[in-house]
Amino acid sequence: MNAVVVAPTLDMRNVMWLLAAMTFVVAPHMERAPLWVAAFCACAVGWRGWIAWSALRFPPRWLVIAITLGASAAIFLSYGRLLGRDAGVTLLIVMVAMKLLEMRTQREVVLCVYLGFFLVMTNFLFSQSIPLGIYLLACVWLFVATLVGFHRTARPPTIRERLVPAAALLAQALPLMAVLFLLFPRVQGPLWALPQDARAGLSGLSDSMTPGTISQLIQSEALAFRVQFEEKIPPFETLYWRGPVLWSFDGRTWKMPEFSPAGNLDYPRTARPVRYSITMEPHGKHWVFALDVPGSLPPGVAVRFDQRLHSVRPIDARIRYDMTSYLDYRLGSRLPPMLRDFALRFDETRNPRTVALGRQWAAETPDKAALVNRAFQYFNREFTYTLEPPLLGDRDPYDEFLFTTKRGFCEHYAGAFALLMRAAGVPSRVVTGYQGGEINPFNNELIVRQADAHAWTEIWLDDRGWVRLDPTAAVSPLRVEGGVNAALGPIGAFSSFLAADKLGVLSSLRYGWHMLNSQWDQWIVGYNTDRQRQLFSRFGLGSADWRSLLLWLVAGTLVVGIAIGLGLLLRDMPRRGEASLTAWRRYCAKLAASGLARAPHEGPLDYLARVSAARPELAPQAEAITHSYVQARYGGGATREELRELRQRVRAFRVA
Amino acid sequence: MTLANLRQSVSDWIFRARVPEVAPVTLVQRRIFILPTRQGYVFAFTLMLLLIASINYTLSLGFLLTFLLAAMGGVAMLHTWRNLAHLKLRPGRSDPVFAGEMARFGVSVETPSRARFAVAMRRRGDEAEVVDVETGNLAGVHLTVPARRRGRLDCGRVEIFTRYPVGFFHAWSYFDFGQSVIVYPRPDPLAGLPPMHSRNESEEGIPIPGDDEFNLLRPYRPGDPPRQIAWKALARGQDLLTKEFNATASSELWLDWEQTRANDAEARLSALAHWVMESERLGQSYGLRLPGTSIAPGRGDAHRAHCLEALALFGDPRPQ
Repeated sequence: MNAVVVAPTLDMRNVMWLLAAMTFVVAPHMERAPLWVAAFCACAVGWRGWIAWSALRFPPRWLVIAITLGASAAIFLSYGRLLGRDAGVTLLIVMVAMKLLEMRTQREVVLCVYLGFFLVMTNFLFSQSIPLGIYLLACVWLFVATLVGFHRTARPPTIRERLVPAAALLAQALPLMAVLFLLFPRVQGPLWALPQDARAGLSGLSDSMTPGTISQLIQSEALAFRVQFEEKIPPFETLYWRGPVLWSFDGRTWKMPEFSPAGNLDYPRTARPVRYSITMEPHGKHWVFALDVPGSLPPGVAVRFDQRLHSVRPIDARIRYDMTSYLDYRLGSRLPPMLRDFALRFDETRNPRTVALGRQWAAETPDKAALVNRAFQYFNREFTYTLEPPLLGDRDPYDEFLFTTKRGFCEHYAGAFALLMRAAGVPSRVVTGYQGGEINPFNNELIVRQADAHAWTEIWLDDRGWVRLDPTAAVSPLRVEGGVNAALGPIGAFSSFLAADKLGVLSSLRYGWHMLNSQWDQWIVGYNTDRQRQLFSRFGLGSADWRSLLLWLVAGTLVVGIAIGLGLLLRDMPRRGEASLTAWRRYCAKLAASGLARAPHEGPLDYLARVSAARPELAPQAEAITHSYVQARYGGGATREELRELRQRVRAFRVA
Repeated sequence: MTLANLRQSVSDWIFRARVPEVAPVTLVQRRIFILPTRQGYVFAFTLMLLLIASINYTLSLGFLLTFLLAAMGGVAMLHTWRNLAHLKLRPGRSDPVFAGEMARFGVSVETPSRARFAVAMRRRGDEAEVVDVETGNLAGVHLTVPARRRGRLDCGRVEIFTRYPVGFFHAWSYFDFGQSVIVYPRPDPLAGLPPMHSRNESEEGIPIPGDDEFNLLRPYRPGDPPRQIAWKALARGQDLLTKEFNATASSELWLDWEQTRANDAEARLSALAHWVMESERLGQSYGLRLPGTSIAPGRGDAHRAHCLEALALFGDPRPQ
């Protein structure tokens, strides 16, 4: 009731709310940022809180500027730059922290809240997972609650009076948000060049392979892609996901060829294709994975001469594409001399023992199939499959591997085998990609992780073309049949925990969570121009060009907006006439129809007396109705129940 | 003409006053206007930046955030507007003041349904008064206006507005009850005591209520001056009693325009106002003679108010 003058005063509680919201929104960044940034932010927030708490003076402007400059310099020292994703976000955080220290007026507070929304956004640069999404929604809620608090100028609101209106605002905004999200015409980013580290931390295969590269990837539980098969999932041992094909070999490293002419997908196919769609995590490179060998091209993807799929743009965002593949195929009818030469080339001076072994085999076993068998038996007898192979030297790593350590991982076997074949005069190349995957029983989706990264070999046989050979299978057949976990035992403590709980509650939860994530990634995180088009065609809304999208957007926004508006406005329309009065009028009308109209001057009780006298048989009904009406309208009022009862009585009232 | 003036005239023309209005005024839909505030525009700009960032980094959750905030802004418009809709306004008490004091125009606000928060009122160019209106409660607002000159002070058109809940929008309406307060002339203490020469004009010996001599204790009636309350009796545990005095030398006093020493009309009025106050304080019965008006002698709050009002409105062509 007490009136207060609006003044740009900063209530201590309001400042505390803002500080809390800021702390929450910055917290996820602290995992990545250098330790001193966390300490810096804590100090700034603490200082500002202290100023608000004890009504202290603000630090002088020169000090704020000095600290800001110092912090910027520290960022430069920590990151080696000021721009770019990581450094830029840290810089923003530091700036906001300093802004808090000179925030004196209401206008500046509102600005800080808006900056807070930016900080929410910066978190998405690093992760768009479900838990983080929920967490940041809570942060947005806090910020809106802070705004609400700042606009309660008469009396400081309670916690509830901040949180509830903010929640109502956000809850009512949700339907509109959905409309905007689905229908807002999506522009394919980026609008300008992204900073170099915008996609930092993406893991995946590289364009070269040295012994040891893939076994590092194996440690990663990170998702590579997910596959949804149209029909049943093909046998596990056929699940070779073709990635970079490596032709060049310098004695240690296998590399993708520098020349890469376009290829085609014309090759003899013998069976029905496998149809599936892949949701691929961004890996920042150009390659696109497909089941060996691809039979179709997703939009924006070209095929190279070695059946490698190459995306025109690097895969910077999660993409989803439909594919067909032929598991039974004949690849290549003829090998041009130039390619043959290329597939046989190696540095004669390096790995001399391996080269000599290959040549010896070739001399002793002219038949190619027998040659391959001999190599496989050689691997099978003496070699061990291990994730932690001994380090190999730079000069002759394959000699060392084949004749000394004899312990290796897929890249050792694939590389060594390809080299042996080249030495024996058989054209060969190394193919990297993924093998196998994990089936989610909930939605029958295949989950392929970085841990499933694999390397194998293709050799050229004159009558068969390129043939896939997996020397790792010779050493550890389980790797190919059951995946890396089957071959090596569970990786990591969590996996072993899960292994003990095969298909129990934990794995159900895990698979359920995977399914949820998959839906989230497909429909929320991966929602893009293509998805929008797909949705439109599914609902038969015509083409999804930006004009029709805009039209639907406006229409949808209007419909939903009006619905929300009407809902809100109808709720506080003043009542026109009371329910009891309406019922009473109906009752009077029924009596009037039989000639017992109520006189204008007649009160309810007088009317009752007259009705009872004239029609004694109606008296009990009339009495009940009149009394409850009088009680509702002139007495203590009526509950909802009583009103309903009154209405029912009136409805049941019959004047014969 | 400055831009601000131009804006003012345009808004005056658009929101033409319909004065005076009959109380109670209900803020129906068509009376409420709404526009974004500067904060709202900055918010819209923020949304633009968020959208561009979302597009550039293809952040789906960024889009979600942007659209959630945009939709929240839209909903906030409804909420802001709704915070005023259906409010019922009535003019409240506005007491006369002396020139130089602050006049207060009372307005009471009532909500038919939900509680309303941070509802503010202001006259043009004044600071706003903010109030929360709880359900089932009558909230009172007092618009304080400095009363500079004697006469009638009109409240004029009042803007009622709100920016609750998030400050993106300014929803407002105008009302004008034609409220006014009487501003008495500022009493001039230099005028000294009222001239007492007319004492013998009245009859003597009839006891009329006065301050001079204690007569009796009677039960307290609202409006009795505090200094006549029998505080000692109250302290002894008795009821609230009022001491009544008799004026033995009851007399009538004419406060005459002509008797004031000043030449300036305003100064004369100020002097007369001071005399009225003094006479009342001394328990004198007094009459007032102004050019063209004369008020028969009397005393008490009503009489004083009558006299002061005559002084305040002296020369005012408007009927009282």
